[in-house]
Amino acid sequence: MPTVQKSYMYEMIRSELAWVVGEEHIQTTDSDKLGHSIDYYWVPELWHDRGEKLTPPDFIVHPATAKEVSEILKIANTHNIPVIPWGGGSGSQGGALPIYGGIMLDMKRMNKVLSIDPVSMTTTVEVGINTQHLEWEIEKAGYSTMHLPASIACATLGGFIAHRGTGVLSTKYGKMEDMIMSLEVVTPTGEIINTLPVPRHASGPDLTQMFLGSEGTLGVVTKATMKIHPIPESRKFHAFLFKTMHDAMVAGSRIMTSRLRPCVIRLYDEPETAKLIKKVLGIDKQGAYLVFGFDGYEKMVDLEMEQACEICKTLEHEDLGTEMGQSWWDNRYKFFYPPYMFHMPQAFGTLDTVATFSNIEKVYWAMKNTIKENFPQATFIGHFSHWYEWGCMLYARFIIDEPPKDPHEAIALYNKIWDMAIRAAIKEGGVINEHHGVGLKLGRIMKDLYGPAYKVLQDIKKVMDPNNIMNPGKMGFQGKGA
Amino acid sequence: MNIKKCIDAINACRFCFMCRHLDPVGNVTFNESDTPRGRALIIDKIRMDRENLNNQDFINTMYKSALSAANRYHCVSHYDEAGLVLAVRKDIVEAGLAPEAVKKLAKELEHVDFKVEGKGSNLYFGEMPELYPDSKLISGGDPGKALEVLGFTNESKNVFEKFKKAVINSKCETLIVAEPSSYDFLKNKFDNIKVIHSSEYLLSAGVNSQTQSKAYYLDSDYLKNYNDNLKAPRELLESAGYKLAMFGTNQEESYSVGEGAVVYDKLYPELAKKLAERVWEQADNPETDLIITASSYTKSILKKYNPAFNVITVEEAVLKAKGN
Repeated sequence: MPTVQKSYMYEMIRSELAWVVGEEHIQTTDSDKLGHSIDYYWVPELWHDRGEKLTPPDFIVHPATAKEVSEILKIANTHNIPVIPWGGGSGSQGGALPIYGGIMLDMKRMNKVLSIDPVSMTTTVEVGINTQHLEWEIEKAGYSTMHLPASIACATLGGFIAHRGTGVLSTKYGKMEDMIMSLEVVTPTGEIINTLPVPRHASGPDLTQMFLGSEGTLGVVTKATMKIHPIPESRKFHAFLFKTMHDAMVAGSRIMTSRLRPCVIRLYDEPETAKLIKKVLGIDKQGAYLVFGFDGYEKMVDLEMEQACEICKTLEHEDLGTEMGQSWWDNRYKFFYPPYMFHMPQAFGTLDTVATFSNIEKVYWAMKNTIKENFPQATFIGHFSHWYEWGCMLYARFIIDEPPKDPHEAIALYNKIWDMAIRAAIKEGGVINEHHGVGLKLGRIMKDLYGPAYKVLQDIKKVMDPNNIMNPGKMGFQGKGA
Repeated sequence: MNIKKCIDAINACRFCFMCRHLDPVGNVTFNESDTPRGRALIIDKIRMDRENLNNQDFINTMYKSALSAANRYHCVSHYDEAGLVLAVRKDIVEAGLAPEAVKKLAKELEHVDFKVEGKGSNLYFGEMPELYPDSKLISGGDPGKALEVLGFTNESKNVFEKFKKAVINSKCETLIVAEPSSYDFLKNKFDNIKVIHSSEYLLSAGVNSQTQSKAYYLDSDYLKNYNDNLKAPRELLESAGYKLAMFGTNQEESYSVGEGAVVYDKLYPELAKKLAERVWEQADNPETDLIITASSYTKSILKKYNPAFNVITVEEAVLKAKGN
């Protein structure tokens, strides 16, 4: 595609796209191209920081309907041009980067709440909607999506669908794949299809689940029906400090395996407790900080909270009480604002991994030891974010305060850390990853993760997208090449 | 370069998405460049290579900002992205690179003469002198704020000097300012003259009314986002008998349709129209809801692009309540 940019074909294709969406809704300015050349992935951020030239999209197109999306994909097939769906652009894996140029399909114009069904407690929405706007609109109607991630204000619903995103309250209300009822999808060849209207059925494999997490490689999700929930009468929090992360993990896993239903549990390892919990919440303690919450009818919240606290008290602990738990909830997004978030010139990455309770500590130590032994310049911290009946997610992070000045050297070091740490995690039963997605960052590891099963994913991609126009080169799938 | 003084905001905003949902222009154009992150990335490129200041796309993006400061208000660390845009506008003007439309508008804004009339111990700067019977009236145009936000610092100072002279000659000790942008500009500019917003003055003067009208108050960018003044206009309206309901779905977005940029519609009428359309979409019952704004700019833009808006200023609301 970049060769086309300087030829008359550039204007030929631009005119075709403008005919579909209108002149006003196609951008080719330097301002717009810059904004769409960088997402929340460290590598393009570094590239910009070091003054290197980024790869921009050729066209940024804002469709208003599924039919317009369909027409755009047909044009892309005709000219064999890559199409990259873009929501909020806040993905951390490089999934929305236009690595081969092409058409950036910015979905934010499709941002309407189409209906709310108070009987079934569902809402049908266009997926380009910013999730904070969605939540505000649903709250005004008296409900909540209960999808409250730190990136709620940054990302679109489509972005969360693309990466199987999750929110702070996932332990009770589920991840995106638990929240979605059905999808409208434009396939790579331009057909507009709908998946079955309910997520529980015995009518063959579940197409909704196939598109969830496909990161724009199997088509463009344009509409979704998702669950909504009543606003709970009460939501309460409690925090404990344990001497070791292991003790805190035992407490957290016992809460989950006892089948209590917290809306959130979060456990910070000793280094993150000392560093981030102190910096953001002002709690200056040595040990592992564990916070959990319950919501619903107040009587049930109090009862479940009492039981959870009893479990914690069977281990060596310091009871930090409700205030230091509530403080975490009140400041839960603060961790992600500057200057609290890691930032340039630091190199940093979230080694997001999920595993069973039997394996999760082994995964933690495998990654931590790998980094400690091989990258002495890196700091390793971690917390356990999203908890299930069988295990939890490890939100491990490495930070290098002074990475190499040369951007190629810096990226080489960065990739080596990922390669070694993630492969160490996979050996111990870890899965990459729980909610950030694969994108460009982790595509090369997909074959190791899936083994022979990866061919099934590749075959699905080939059949659905014969010209390989949809987000090529992501999730380990074939690139567009020269 | 002025932007180099804002390095903390550049570094904070260039890769941060946390307030993007609040950019009024980004919410109607859907362009990445019309968000704080998008603008900070551009400014960072200019910082790295001054040659980028010549890029007309980049210059246009900087003037498209509505400067609402809703993003700054939201940010937990209050990084000043609006200040960053103002800094780059100054750099654009100082380099002689302002677009022709901006230069032409700046010239128009320079041609002002201020006059003081009436009797009283206070001096009122606004459109409803009937509410201030014991005050003199100063009139003549924008006191320099519009030029300041366009990046014309020296020209802004010159206009302000004319305004200042007229104020000092009035021998009044209190200046009551109605338009929030002017209030923001003037509040710290006098040594011995107290500058007060009209809502604060009217609230202290007291308004008692039997009116019981439901109304939606649209926050002013300059009162709320720049000066953290949420209370005075609300308390004034409530004391005047208005029962205030939350407009739209939240209290964070700016619905002041470009008030932060003072003369936004003069440069981008099509965007001002889109901002007004968003207000219409967000209203509960747009054809019947009574909307009250502290800014006569906001009122004029809403009415200009959709006469069906039932919108009045805070001062008009007070006058109406007094009449009842």
